[in-house]
Amino acid sequence: MIKRVFAFIDEDAKKEIRRNLLKAVAIPGYIVPFSSREMPVARGWGTGGLQISLSLLQEDDCIKVTDQGCDGSVNAVNIRDFITSVSGVKATVNTRDATIIQTRHRIPEHPLTEDQILVFQVPYPEVLTMVEPDMAKQKQIHADSDYSKLWVLLYEDTSQYGDSRISNRYPVEINSHYMMDPSPIPKYDIARLNNSPALQLFGAGREKRLYAIPPYTRVTPLKFNDRPFIVEDFKGKSCKRCGAEGIFLDEIHTTGSVHYFCSDTEFCDNKLKEAKDAIER
Amino acid sequence: MSYVAIKGGTDAINASKRLFEKRIQPEKQLPEKDLLTTLPHSCDRIIAEGALYSDALAVKALLRSGGDLLEAAFYLRAHRSTCRRAGIAKEINSDDIRITRRISSAFKDIDGGQILGPSCDYIIRLFQVQSSDGGKISDIAKTSVIRAPSALNNLRDRDMVLLLENTEGEAVDVSRQFPLPPYPRSALMQVMSRGETGSMLAFAYTSMRGYGDVHPTIGDLRTGMAAISFTHPFTDGKVKIGEIRTTFCETVGSFQRDPKDGKLRLSNGFGFCLGHNETRAISMSILDLAIHNQGYSMGGADIAANPEIIINHIDGIESMGFTNHFKLPHYVTFQADLHVLDKARSSCSD
Repeated sequence: MIKRVFAFIDEDAKKEIRRNLLKAVAIPGYIVPFSSREMPVARGWGTGGLQISLSLLQEDDCIKVTDQGCDGSVNAVNIRDFITSVSGVKATVNTRDATIIQTRHRIPEHPLTEDQILVFQVPYPEVLTMVEPDMAKQKQIHADSDYSKLWVLLYEDTSQYGDSRISNRYPVEINSHYMMDPSPIPKYDIARLNNSPALQLFGAGREKRLYAIPPYTRVTPLKFNDRPFIVEDFKGKSCKRCGAEGIFLDEIHTTGSVHYFCSDTEFCDNKLKEAKDAIER
Repeated sequence: MSYVAIKGGTDAINASKRLFEKRIQPEKQLPEKDLLTTLPHSCDRIIAEGALYSDALAVKALLRSGGDLLEAAFYLRAHRSTCRRAGIAKEINSDDIRITRRISSAFKDIDGGQILGPSCDYIIRLFQVQSSDGGKISDIAKTSVIRAPSALNNLRDRDMVLLLENTEGEAVDVSRQFPLPPYPRSALMQVMSRGETGSMLAFAYTSMRGYGDVHPTIGDLRTGMAAISFTHPFTDGKVKIGEIRTTFCETVGSFQRDPKDGKLRLSNGFGFCLGHNETRAISMSILDLAIHNQGYSMGGADIAANPEIIINHIDGIESMGFTNHFKLPHYVTFQADLHVLDKARSSCSD
């Protein structure tokens, strides 16, 4: 009764997703509605990203799935196992070996290349949700490119708290046109969206929306000209495990002390391995 | 000081899955065919909210999920994504269904009669064993095929019912293309026909008890078997491919000025679902009534009449999934939150 399909989703649905992705790439930062099939993974657990990954997947692809910078995180493990079990493609934790990388809340530390596609899982695709929840009005605002409500919010925060209170999902302008929600990545990663050689795709399954940042696209955070964009500060701190500096670190508070570790565990493991190899040589 | 144990999740996940399996004791599970006959309402809810009419899969899903109906409906929806659409069946007219139960609270005497059929409405909910009175069930109920026109047709014939203008050509299928606002009525109806029973009930309830204007009268509520016909792919002829359990509800609301000719007519709402679920069909008809007919809201916020609220918030698969996603790690975003709080605190203390 139950027939198996390569990469789970039926072929008509995959075709629809790929066509919508083409539209998204053609209009950088524009939100494209799609039908969004139900996945065996719950809504809100990465079904948008998953549908993109599955519809792009070919037999010779190599998939990496990461969550909060860690491929061993529960959700990443589940999604990776699911993708490999329905498609038979290779999986890796190594950023460099992957052709498609599905991620939640982080961009891998290792620089991406033109041969890679980064797929973000998105909970709230619409950047205007925090200032205007009505979808019909949101559509109008994008059409008019009138983002004054976002600017007012930024002004209010800056005047009261010295800076925007938005800690993640920081609004970004794509290719000097649409304002876009970059998914809940930290501010550190916002700067890394800009001019990326890799194609960056965003999928929101529950909200049924797709959007894209094509390779080498200008991405700028919403910011007044005379105010700097301040990212999370890890100056003078390094990973307790591998010693890396200048990357995004997890803060681990134990009684009486704070320790720092690489947020991207693959990056951390690789750094340790390289150091070990150097000693052995 | 060891490295925080966010790695090595695979073993823990597998153990968690095994524990769940063990907990629902598959070796003691009831035979599938008995589940369908003894828990028909569970199965019907799974079928309706899962938006896939399959008794066999509904029962499997019920067992797999340990009786969690939201989870079970989710199995059906997920399976749906692997199936190609074969085509579009012919329209069903609710007047033509083979009735198992049919009531009207608008009229006492209706063409075809009030047929109570099987219902738990008249049962006193006591745990003490109450044997039925042993009375006879009439042969008509057991043997004859009953069909009847809607109890509202009489009003329609007298030109007293407002007919909404149909501005859509073909009905939207939200599983192929989710529409942008303004939402076509067909899209809203489809989302509602597979919406979560409790969510729809709650929104409909807001409308009836103060935050809205819907004081409905049930014109015609019916459950029964509807024949599904399909165009034969080779002969192009119309063929019946089976019957499905369905529930229909038509409710009557307040009178409105008909925009077509300015005459006063009664508004009405329509509810439908796969399987037998009267609460859900009534709720849907009330929401349809609220959304598509202007009300005189007393409570201020008329949330049940807002298509934006209804279309985006009644799907159980979506709301359940998203609510549970908060169990996923949010280490990075929460750390970023704390960074911003620190910055704001130092800015405010300057």
